[in-house]
Parts: sequence; structure tokens; C-alpha cells
Amino acid sequence: MKRNNPSPNGQATPTMSRREFLGLSVLGLGIPLAEGLTSPSAPRAASPEELAILYDPVKCVGCRACQMACKRWNNLPAESTDALGIYESPTDLSAITWTIIKLKQTDTGWHFFCYQCMHCTDAACVAVCPTGALFHDERGFVALDREKCNGCGYCTQFCPFGVPHLQTANIWTGAAKSAKCTFCQDRVWNGLGGPSCAEVCPVGALQWGKRAELLEVARARVAELQARGMNARIYGETELGGLHRLSILLDEPAQYGLPAAPGSPALARFWQKVIQPLGNALFGVALAGILGVFLFVRRKIRMEEVR
Amino acid sequence: MTVQLKDRAEAITIQWIPKYTALERLGHWLHTATFVPLAVTGMILYFPFLQPLAQGEAGLFIRLIHRVAAVLFGLLPIIYYAFQPRRLLLHIREFLPRKEDIGWLKGAPAYYLLGKHEAMPPQGRFNAGEKLNGLVMIIAWAVFGITGVPMWFGKGIIPPELFRWLVIVHDLMMIVSVCMFLVHLYLAVAHPLMWAGLVSMRFGVVSAEYAAEHHARWFYGPKRAMEIYEAKKRAAAEGKH
Ligand code: HEM
Ligand code: SF4
Repeated sequence: MKRNNPSPNGQATPTMSRREFLGLSVLGLGIPLAEGLTSPSAPRAASPEELAILYDPVKCVGCRACQMACKRWNNLPAESTDALGIYESPTDLSAITWTIIKLKQTDTGWHFFCYQCMHCTDAACVAVCPTGALFHDERGFVALDREKCNGCGYCTQFCPFGVPHLQTANIWTGAAKSAKCTFCQDRVWNGLGGPSCAEVCPVGALQWGKRAELLEVARARVAELQARGMNARIYGETELGGLHRLSILLDEPAQYGLPAAPGSPALARFWQKVIQPLGNALFGVALAGILGVFLFVRRKIRMEEVR
Repeated sequence: MTVQLKDRAEAITIQWIPKYTALERLGHWLHTATFVPLAVTGMILYFPFLQPLAQGEAGLFIRLIHRVAAVLFGLLPIIYYAFQPRRLLLHIREFLPRKEDIGWLKGAPAYYLLGKHEAMPPQGRFNAGEKLNGLVMIIAWAVFGITGVPMWFGKGIIPPELFRWLVIVHDLMMIVSVCMFLVHLYLAVAHPLMWAGLVSMRFGVVSAEYAAEHHARWFYGPKRAMEIYEAKKRAAAEGKH
């Protein structure tokens, strides 16, 4: 995996003196390591321009207009599903289904949940993407450039919410393209409005707008629901540096199948911030060491004397 | 074979003795020919500054090369030893660590940097450094296979938590094996003491004189090699007094 923000890879310059060389090796190891551990994990500071979607399960009537609007705007084909006798159809996101309504039985009853990309600030998918195909729009959402995607599928394995899916053309060659909710990036970029799911929702269960403003709306709504005796809370205010898909939950996140403290990008971060710089430094030290030895040996050992 | 050197009056005679079989050399070079493309294509996914090569169609092609090379890389040693089972036993015996290896590794810096090879414990057909390289490559072969195959086919089958660790282990193995490879490459092509190694790996032969000096246990047999070594050490100790 590569980091998206290139960092100095700490290649020490070759040198003749052993002490100097050792000193530089330590520097070579130290700089990227220190850089890696101290640099902020969030790609940028929260900006007032950031957008978000807010989902309110109390308003949701489960009509799945969002699911259909997503398909239509993004030109996604229908999926054939089995009649499982349950409300969810299909039962999970896929390369051609980017938004679904889930029906969850929690301790407090049956609740809908609109399941789509959470547009994390600290997005594991962006961190592990070797191509830059997944990236943050300056308004905070996680966009996807399918032209750049090479189908490696790391995003599908590192996302803590299991959101991106590969549209696999051939499992032998690995030819594939990643697919996920893009916050309707083409609508936002072309000034056509916001995400089609939120635009179409007939009851205002999905709204889109400035993230800061939606947080205010969510806080007021949670207070109101709590006053009505519901176990309401906001999900996504601080999780993973702040999600750009905010949700009101009526129970523990785990009851919705959501990680309470989504920590799986920790492995992606650990990798990028610690092991990757360490690897670069080792290459640097190895190359510098070999060059140093080469220059030294060239003067010390004369080919003619070797039988 | 006699060679006339420019700056010497008399011709010198080199006696060549066989060191590697043709199949051993073929195996070595096929291993190289698959390892290098694997390392290069893998690093294109790994290094941020190579990102343009990893994108879109180019990236897909890079990944395809990685997979084709991986199949060969994985199968070649199996095919080789299937046809040469006795070589497997020989190689295992030759590559197992021995207690002289420690002495050799201790002497290695002076050997490689200053050309002091008098004090080196006698070595077999492979010296302790070559054995270390071989050991890393054997481990790498297994680790790349164990992590790479599920990375290829395992998405959606194995738990994502496991996949994440596999990528990390695959990358760590790449870092270790590529560092080892760089050292091996330098010693093979650029180090003045090691020129004979490259000759042997190309033509299969080594000069008797070089073999006696650098691979004494292989050239003389263990007992005689030890006697010569002890005698050299005694002579050196007396010389000091
Ligand atoms: C049996 C041999 C091997 C197999 C089956 C294998 C398989 C794979 C697979 C499936 C990937 C993921 C990319 C994709 O899906 O196309 C990958 C990535 C990679 N491989 Fe291999 N590989 C093997 C050997 C090697 C070797 C010998 C090296 C280097 C010396 C290497 C270095 C890498 C690197 C650096 C990556 C990129 C990981 C990242 O994105 O950071 N692999 N390999
Ligand atoms: S939910 Fe998954 S796909 Fe969406 S931004 Fe977060 S890590 Fe990426």
C-alpha cells in the first residue's frame, strides 16, 4: 500500500566515514518514522464548506425511494434477488447497489437504516488506495475516479463498513473496478444539487447540506427524541475524524451492525505511518550502505590482486 | 586454460573445475527472471511516487504481470525439485547452518571491506553469506505464496481482518527480500572479491585456486580444510610474536 501524500523517503546520502554513515542511517530511519507518527491522520482541517447527508430513522418510512434514485442517477442495473421473505432487498451493498434500506431489530423495536458510504474524514479506503482513484473532495466526501482505479480491491478489504465492492471482470487476471456511493459527485461538481437519495426522499429522512448546519439539526432532533423517551444519539460526529454521512440512531451502534468505535483503519494507519516509512528508510539505508561500501572497496581492494 | 595477461611476462594457467550444474544455473536465472518483475510490479503498487504507473489500464497491466510472474515464481522450484529430488537433499544439507558460519559472518566485514580472507573459516560450496541470502529467499518464496494466493482469490472469502494482515506481511517480506536482493546484486556484479561467483553462475565453473581459497571445505573436504585452516591460524599467530 502506498500513502497518498508522498513523504520524503529518508534516503541517506552515501558517505565514506563510518561514523557519519551510521549517523545518517539513524537519521534515515528516524525522520520518516517521526514524520509518520506525528503527522495528523485527518487529510485536512474541518472546513465550513464541508457537506454531509443526515439520516433520521424516525422520519424514514422505508419506501426505498433513495435506493431507486441512487440506481437511476448512477445508471446502475437492477439486481436479481431471492425472495427471502425479509424486507431488505437486496440484503447488502454491491458493485451495482450503493444505497440500501436495512431493517434492524434492536432492543427498542424495528428500525430502518439507510446504508451507504459514510464518507469518512479518516477514510481507510483513501489511505490504502494505491492509485489515488479514491480521494477526498474539498467538501469532505470521498469521491471515486473510476478511470484511475486499477481494481486491486484493497478498499473493499480495509473499509470498516464494508462499503466498496469490486465489479470483477475476471478473477484470474484481477481485472476489476471498485464501486461505491460517491455522494453523487457528478451532481455536486456540476452544480446540479446534492446526492439524489437525499434530493428524492419524500419525508425528509435523508437531508443534505453543510455538515456544520446538519450537526445542529441533528443535535436538536436528538434532544427532541430523547424528550420523547427515545434512546437517541448521533453517529458520525466524531467517528473516524467525522463522517460526512451523519445518522441518528435509536440504539447502540452495534445493534445496527455499525462498529461502536470504528478502529479498523488503525491497521491501515499503522501500516502507512509506521511500516511504510520504515520500509522506505530500510531501502534508503541499504542503497546508501551499498554505495558507501562500493566506493570504499573500490579504493581498498584492487582487482588485480585478487586471484 | 592458459591466459596471457597484459602486464605479465609469463602466461598463467587457470584450472577450471565444475561448480554448478546446468539446471542449477537455469533455476537460479529463472528465479531471478521472475523475482525481479515481481519486485518491480509490486513496488509500483507500493511506492507513492510510482502512482501514475499504478493507475487505470497501466495498473491493471502491472497487476497482470505480477500474477503471471507469481505463477512461475511459485511453480519453478517445485518443478525443479520434482525432477531433481536428490538435489533437494543436497541443497538442504548445503544450506543448513553450521557453527563455522558464525566465525565467517564475524569475519565478513573485514573480508568484504578490506579483502582480508586469510582468517575466514573454511566454507562449503556456498559460504555463510550466500546461505543467508538463500535462507531469506526460501522463506520469501513460502511467505509470498502463503500471503499472495489469498490476496489473489480470497477477497470476499477470507475475513477482511485477515486480508489486511496478509497485505502487510506481503509488503514486509518484500522490504526484507528486496534489501537482501540489493546486497546480493552488489556482491555479484560489483564486488572485486566476488567476480568468480558470477562466472560460476554463468558458466558453471570456478578456478581451482579460487575454490581452494574461498570454498575450502567443498574443495578439500571438511577434514583437510580444517587442517589447512588451523595451520594458517598457527602461522599467523607465530608471525605476530
Ligand atoms: C507467489 C508469489 C506471489 C504472489 C501469488 C503474489 C500476489 C500478489 C497479489 C495478489 C497482490 C495484490 C495486487 C493484486 O491483486 O494484483 C500483490 C501485491 C504485491 N506484491 Fe506480490 N505476489 C507474489 C510474489 C511477490 C514478490 C516476490 C514480491 C517482491 C519481491 C511481491 C511484492 C508485492 C508488492 C510490493 C505488492 C503491493 C502491495 C501493496 O500494495 O503495498 N510479491 N502480490
Ligand atoms: S465508509 Fe468505507 S468507502 Fe466510505 S469513506 Fe469510509 S472507508 Fe471509504
